[in-house]
Amino acid sequence: MTTQPEKLNFDVLIIGGGIAGIEAAINIANNGFKVILAEKDLTIGGKMLLLSKVFPTLDCSACITTPKISEADRHPNITIFTNTEITSIEKQDATYFKANLVKHTRFVEEEDCTGCQLCEEACPVVVPDQYQYGMVGRKAAYIPFNIASPRVATIDIDNCILCGACEKACPTHCINFMQADKNYRLIVKSVIVATGFKLFDATKIQRYQYGTAKNIINAMQMERLLAPTRPYNHVIRPGDGRVPDKIAYVLCTGSRDFTVGNPICSQICCMYSLKQAQLLMGALPMADVTIYYISIRSFGKGFEEFYEQAKSMGINFVKGKIGNITEKENGNLILRYEDVASGRLKESEHDLVVLSVGVVPNEDASSLFGDAEWKQDAFHFPLQKDLLFNPSLSNINGIFMAGTTTGPMDIPDAILSAGAASMEAIQYIQKTAL
Amino acid sequence: MKQKIGVYICHCGGNISDYVDVEKVRQAVIDEPGVALVENTMFACADSNQKKMLDDIKQQQLDGVVVASCSPKLHQPTFQSVVERAGLNKYNYIHANIREQVSWPHSDDKAGATAKAIQLVKAAIAKVRLAESIEPMQIETEQAVLVVGAGIAGMKAAIALAKTGTQVYLIEREHFIGGRIAQWDVLCTTDETGKELVTRLYNEVKACKNIVLFTGAEMIENHGSKGNFKISIRIKPRYIQKHCNDGRLQKAIEVCPVEIEDEFNFNITKRKAIYHNFPSEYPHAAVIDMEHCTRCGECLKICDQINLDQEEERLELKVGSILVATGFDPYEPVEGEFGYQAFDNVVTLPQFKRLVANSEHKLYWKGKRVRNIGYIYCVGSRQTNGDNKYCSRYCCTSTIYAAIKAGEKIKDLNHFHFTRGIRTYGKQEVLYHEASLQGQLFFQSPDDDLPKVETKNSKTIIKVNDLLSLNHSIETEVDLVVLVTGMVPRHNNTVSEILKIPKGRDHFFNEIHMKLRPVETVIDGVSIAGCCQGPKNVVESINSALSAAIKCYSLVSQSHLQVEPIVAGVDEQLCEWCGLCADSCPFDAIHMSQTPAKQTALVNEAVCKGCGMCLPVCPTNAIQLNTYSDPEIESMIQTLASDL
Repeated sequence: MTTQPEKLNFDVLIIGGGIAGIEAAINIANNGFKVILAEKDLTIGGKMLLLSKVFPTLDCSACITTPKISEADRHPNITIFTNTEITSIEKQDATYFKANLVKHTRFVEEEDCTGCQLCEEACPVVVPDQYQYGMVGRKAAYIPFNIASPRVATIDIDNCILCGACEKACPTHCINFMQADKNYRLIVKSVIVATGFKLFDATKIQRYQYGTAKNIINAMQMERLLAPTRPYNHVIRPGDGRVPDKIAYVLCTGSRDFTVGNPICSQICCMYSLKQAQLLMGALPMADVTIYYISIRSFGKGFEEFYEQAKSMGINFVKGKIGNITEKENGNLILRYEDVASGRLKESEHDLVVLSVGVVPNEDASSLFGDAEWKQDAFHFPLQKDLLFNPSLSNINGIFMAGTTTGPMDIPDAILSAGAASMEAIQYIQKTAL
Repeated sequence: MKQKIGVYICHCGGNISDYVDVEKVRQAVIDEPGVALVENTMFACADSNQKKMLDDIKQQQLDGVVVASCSPKLHQPTFQSVVERAGLNKYNYIHANIREQVSWPHSDDKAGATAKAIQLVKAAIAKVRLAESIEPMQIETEQAVLVVGAGIAGMKAAIALAKTGTQVYLIEREHFIGGRIAQWDVLCTTDETGKELVTRLYNEVKACKNIVLFTGAEMIENHGSKGNFKISIRIKPRYIQKHCNDGRLQKAIEVCPVEIEDEFNFNITKRKAIYHNFPSEYPHAAVIDMEHCTRCGECLKICDQINLDQEEERLELKVGSILVATGFDPYEPVEGEFGYQAFDNVVTLPQFKRLVANSEHKLYWKGKRVRNIGYIYCVGSRQTNGDNKYCSRYCCTSTIYAAIKAGEKIKDLNHFHFTRGIRTYGKQEVLYHEASLQGQLFFQSPDDDLPKVETKNSKTIIKVNDLLSLNHSIETEVDLVVLVTGMVPRHNNTVSEILKIPKGRDHFFNEIHMKLRPVETVIDGVSIAGCCQGPKNVVESINSALSAAIKCYSLVSQSHLQVEPIVAGVDEQLCEWCGLCADSCPFDAIHMSQTPAKQTALVNEAVCKGCGMCLPVCPTNAIQLNTYSDPEIESMIQTLASDL
């Protein structure tokens, strides 16, 4: 079914509704400009909304993200499109861009859905929940999680068996299996790319056994175990549901590692591991937590003090790179490593291993720009054409970048970079308007 | 008195309900006078609950709302917006904090936590019963911004603001702009020099007609607040008129008999009392350093454009917002710290950079050839005994880059890095790799066993117990010791006292919220950018400058600003003007007002933060705070105390 795309005009298109995209949207909208925030996921909030607490303040992440989300959501100058993909962006001249968007169908009328979750209860299909990083299941008719924005249901049509149970259960009759994708054609004056980062896929390091050994998780999964919207009400190891009491962190998984093609440091892993270790000391007071590291990089404001706090809490720090991990029959794991302090190869046993996976570029935006070539740097992050003078500028004038689009960074740096991108976008719009 | 109050009690996804029996709270308050409805909700802040609140208020014509959830710091604006959208004045909603004040601190006592939550919710109901509708105050804004500090952050912010059409005043305490970056040579990682970057920024500043730049200008006073700051500045004279002949001026510099250490080169060279600031001199105009000038008159004989009697000027600037970008100082090691000033071949990283910038082909220090350089890291940072606990963030990368660049310029150097763990975060990691491939050597000392600098047979030795080689004791003979000094806040920075910007434990300026509001301060209308907030590299400084700029722009792009009406008010009848309230005010918001009849206290509503400090000190009870009136507070106390 093809329909004529609806035409819309905005001052700025922001691609990506994570914390950087949201911050940039609010900055621009507060100055009277119209913004469209396009998010490919079902909810805005990005990865930050899924975190437990954030370093070094130990603020509850969801609690400090949701006010920003509410602010963007109710802002008269911000239009939010979720479940939406950009298909192309063409620069027309110095004053505007044309962009094509497709807002994918949820098979649910968003305005009518009350988020009652009766469809979820009725749905007989269970598949792994991507928002819990596969640790528990969800239905094919589902709301991503409690604090999703918008908090409306979606039918996962790839897994739906078309039984119609959800339709019957829905009190507002908002489920519509005939609902089609909707196309939009946008005219915008400037674009901000805030597409964030991807997590390093730890299955690429086979000797770490991620994906095969049952009690090895990545740090994002540990975030979920500790978050207020957590899957279980406790920290347990996935293999057998036992409460772990000897937990290991493997830093630099997929970072500072030429063998996986990622020589750079991911900038956040030391700190989030220190934070998780501290939270685990609170959640599991009897547990031993050991952090295996190359060097601890606690470089930001308040970070070094946070590291000192972690040491004083009794977290073990072992300087040494993990060579390989093997699984024992009881599900415990043997870590083999070079112990720098003694200069020897050593082995130690843990019952839960957390891989502190790094940040890798999200290259989704690279194919959008048609003839205008989207250049990348040596690490496949988009090129910052004038790094020191205008860090948010891409190689295409009028297209700016915010947050981890350009490289690893923590939340405050992402907020600063979003501020920079929004200020540059406003200047660009006003310059071209003259 | 409210008749139809709606109460919403939040589970916070377990954050509250794991410790507080929220259903019991609901039942305990349902019969409170005036309560029409009590609901429990999984997440009060979620869209769906907001929608429900909105419908409830409209359909059931609620006249007051209580939300019991997390700290009002997080979601007060969210719920204020909900009641406003439902057509209710937002001051008819009262918040009870049952997370930070109940469930989190009392997680070990569920019954006690539940009892406390009940009391807090009842108190909030008592308050909302008496709540009055008040309207926000409007203030007219000066559509101009003052930027303090013309380093890279200040200049970048000024340019960005000017390009939006905003009037900008850019003041710089020194006679030359560019700040610390003007003193840097090649910058990581683009090979652009500090001079080039500063030149680009300065040219843009000059091209913006709506930037007024004052050099030698210092803030001395502030009267006013968000929207209407009135800032007095003092401008030091240069003592040299504008139209001075270059040749003659050069001669005047030559005849000046005063020679002092040149702080532009971090004291490794000398300059005269009348001087240029080469190589990065903007504006291009010499200046007389009156602190060191002996008024001998030699220069006057040569150049008639010199006037030693020029006087300082004072100006008042009216602006709606202030952006502070006052930068940092390099840490100055104390005498004897790693041999500093005890041995004559110990320099700081900034001195080393100036030395390399001023050298060609071969490196000499005090006449002696330098081949082996030892860098000692974390000097003035990560101190185990000293006050500076923080990591200075930029220095690892800066040192490695300086070593690589020195090696490109001067071929026969050997580099020995004595570190405490290298922190070349992000993409900067590749520099560490490159330096290692070049054969630069890295050692790491334990945090409690730092390197020692000693002399042995008139050679300088760095001794270290190296963690990377089984704690072996290693001695390295070096020609030059470079102390990798961190960043500290600018000394005698009077801006913080004048504007009352709070400082953190690290003595840098403090932001409102480290994560989400990193450039705003608790002083409304004042934002902070660059290294005055904490150590940063160039890119991070520029990003923070632009972020601060957009926050300032949001304030001055509108002709009027709304401010919270929660301010103190003085009953003129009761006031006897004793001045106690003015003394107790931390924001300088209360002054004496002379009316024909008597002297009374007057509150500047734009400056008042509604903190309430003035209330208890008033001997005649003449001051009341909007939304915190005595009847409201007393009714809360009565409720809290009644069931005990």
